[in-house]
Amino acid sequence: MRAMVIDDSRAMRMILKRIVAKLNFETVEAGDGQEALDLLATMTEVPDLALIDWNMPNMNGLEFVTKVRADARLREMTLVMVTTESEQNQIVRALAAGAHEYVIKPFTEGAMIEKLALLGLVPSGASS
Amino acid sequence: MTLSQADFNFVSQLVRREAAIVLAPGKEYLVEARLIPVARVVGATGVAEFLADLQRRPNPDNQRRVIDALTTNETSWFRDREPFAALTDVVLPDLVKSRSTARKVRLWSAASSSGQEAYSLAITLQENLPPGWNFEIMGSDISTEMIKRAEKAEYSQVEVNRGLPASALVQYFERAGAHWRITPALRRNVSFKLMNLTAPLPALAPFDVIFLRNVLIYFDVATKKSVLRNVSRLLRPDGWLFLGAAETTIGIDDNYERVATGRTSAYRVRSAVPSGAVGRG
Amino acid sequence: MSVEVLVSADDLTEMVDQVWLSYLDPEGIDPLVATGDEKQPTEVHAMVSITGSWHGHLVYASSTAAARKAAAGFLAMTVDEVGEEDVTDVLGELANIVGGNVKAMLPDGCFLSLPTVIMAPESASHHPSAHRISGLYGQWAGEPVSISMWQSVKPEAGK
Repeated sequence: MRAMVIDDSRAMRMILKRIVAKLNFETVEAGDGQEALDLLATMTEVPDLALIDWNMPNMNGLEFVTKVRADARLREMTLVMVTTESEQNQIVRALAAGAHEYVIKPFTEGAMIEKLALLGLVPSGASS
Repeated sequence: MTLSQADFNFVSQLVRREAAIVLAPGKEYLVEARLIPVARVVGATGVAEFLADLQRRPNPDNQRRVIDALTTNETSWFRDREPFAALTDVVLPDLVKSRSTARKVRLWSAASSSGQEAYSLAITLQENLPPGWNFEIMGSDISTEMIKRAEKAEYSQVEVNRGLPASALVQYFERAGAHWRITPALRRNVSFKLMNLTAPLPALAPFDVIFLRNVLIYFDVATKKSVLRNVSRLLRPDGWLFLGAAETTIGIDDNYERVATGRTSAYRVRSAVPSGAVGRG
Repeated sequence: MSVEVLVSADDLTEMVDQVWLSYLDPEGIDPLVATGDEKQPTEVHAMVSITGSWHGHLVYASSTAAARKAAAGFLAMTVDEVGEEDVTDVLGELANIVGGNVKAMLPDGCFLSLPTVIMAPESASHHPSAHRISGLYGQWAGEPVSISMWQSVKPEAGK
C-alpha cells in the first residue's frame, strides 16, 4: 500500500512516514497542497492514503481535500487530516469537504495507528 | 527518591502480566511519578511502602490502581472495536426484536474506569437504536477517583485522539477549554456508581448487555467465579455478556455458553439460549 | 473576558506536556520541568502569530542545545546528525502545534500564521505593542526552554 504525506514541516513528514512505514506503507511526500497535486498528476498508481496538514503555503489542506474529492481519478484515496486546527467547526468543515478522518496534533504513535485502524488500513497483528 | 530495582521489577511484571504493558528499564521516574498519587489515596506513607505492602499481600484493588495509574492517557474509545461491532450487528438487532414493547435497553459497563467504555457504548446505542427507543448505561468502578473522572466526562486532546472517530468527536463532544466534554444530550443517558464486583451487589434492575472487560484477569479462579455469579444476577436471562479479548467463562462458570458474534464472542446464559442460537460465526 | 482566563498557565503547561509526551519524551522520563525562571537566557526562538478576533503571538525559546535535542527527537537522529535546517523546521513545528492548540481556546475567528524561526535570543525580537499573558519557563535535561503567550494591544486613539 502507498501513502502520501503532505506537510510543510519536514520533521512532521518524517514522523508520519516513520509511523506508516511500520504499517508496511511505501511513502511519497509533498510540502504543500499544490506540490501534492502536481506529484499525483505524475503517478500512475494513486496512493491509498494521504495524511494532510491544514496550514501550508500555496495550497492548504482543506483546498487539497476539496480538489481531490472532485477529481474522479483521485476520489478513492483515503484522506486523513493531521493538523493543529482543532476547533469543532474546523473539524466539521474538513469532514464536510470529504476528509475521512481527522487527527489533532500533537498525536502519539498509538493514537495515529488507531485512527488508521478505524479506516481499515492496519494489517492485523500490527500494533504500536 | 527513586524506585528500587526490585520494586520496579515487581511493577513491570505486574503490568506486563495483567495489561500487556512493557516497561523498559529507565522508566523508573515514570512509574514513581504515577504511583505517588495512588500511594497517597490508599494511605501509604510513600510509594515504597505501598509497593512493599502489595508484594506482601496481593490486593486486587490496589493492583488495579497500579494498572490504571500506568495506563492513564492510553485508554481507547471503542476499545478492540469488535465488541462494539458485535453490539451493532448482532446484539442490538436481537434486542430490538425482543424488547419491542418496552423499547428500552439497559447496559452496564462494569469497571468503567475513566468512562471511555461507557460513553462509547452510549455513542453506539445513540447511532444504532431506532427512533423512539431509549437507553440507559450504568458505569461502575471500585475507585472513587475514577467515578469522579467518568462523571466529569472531560477528556484531553490526546485522549480524544485514541480510537474515537472524528465524526463522533464533533457530534457528541463540545470543547471545554483545552478539553473536550461529552454533550449533555448524550451524558444524560449515562450514570456512574461506585461498586465492588467481588462483594454482594446492590439490587438493580437487570441489564440487557454487560461489558465486563479486562476485569476478571485481576482475580484468582475462586474470585472470578464469585464475580461472575454476582454479575449474572444482574443480567437478563436472555442478556449478553462481553468479556475482554483474552478472557472466557470456560472453566469458571458452566452456566454460560459462548456465542459467536461477528468476529468476536459474547456469552449468554445457557438455559435461555434456544438451539441454533442467534449469532453469525 | 481577559485572555488570562481563556488560556491559563495550567492550560499552557498541559499543551506543552502533551507535545513532549507525543514527540520528545514518549516514555515520560525526560520532561520539561517548570522552574519559573523568566530571566533565563535563550539562544534561538520560534513564533506563530494569531490574528483575527484576537491578536498576539506564541513564542518557543530555548538554548541551541535544547533546540538540537528537540530536532533529534522529532527526526529520530542523534544530536550530531542534526543540521540547522532541521532545527529551524522542528522549532517552527513546535510553535505551530502549541499555537494551534492555544488558538482553539480563543474566541472564534482567529487565524494562525506560518511559523518564523530566529536563530537569536528571544530578546532580539521586539514586538512594541505586545505584553506577555502567560508563560511556561523551565529546564529540559538541564537546558532552558520556555513557551510564552503574548497579546498585542493597539495603542488607544489620541495617545
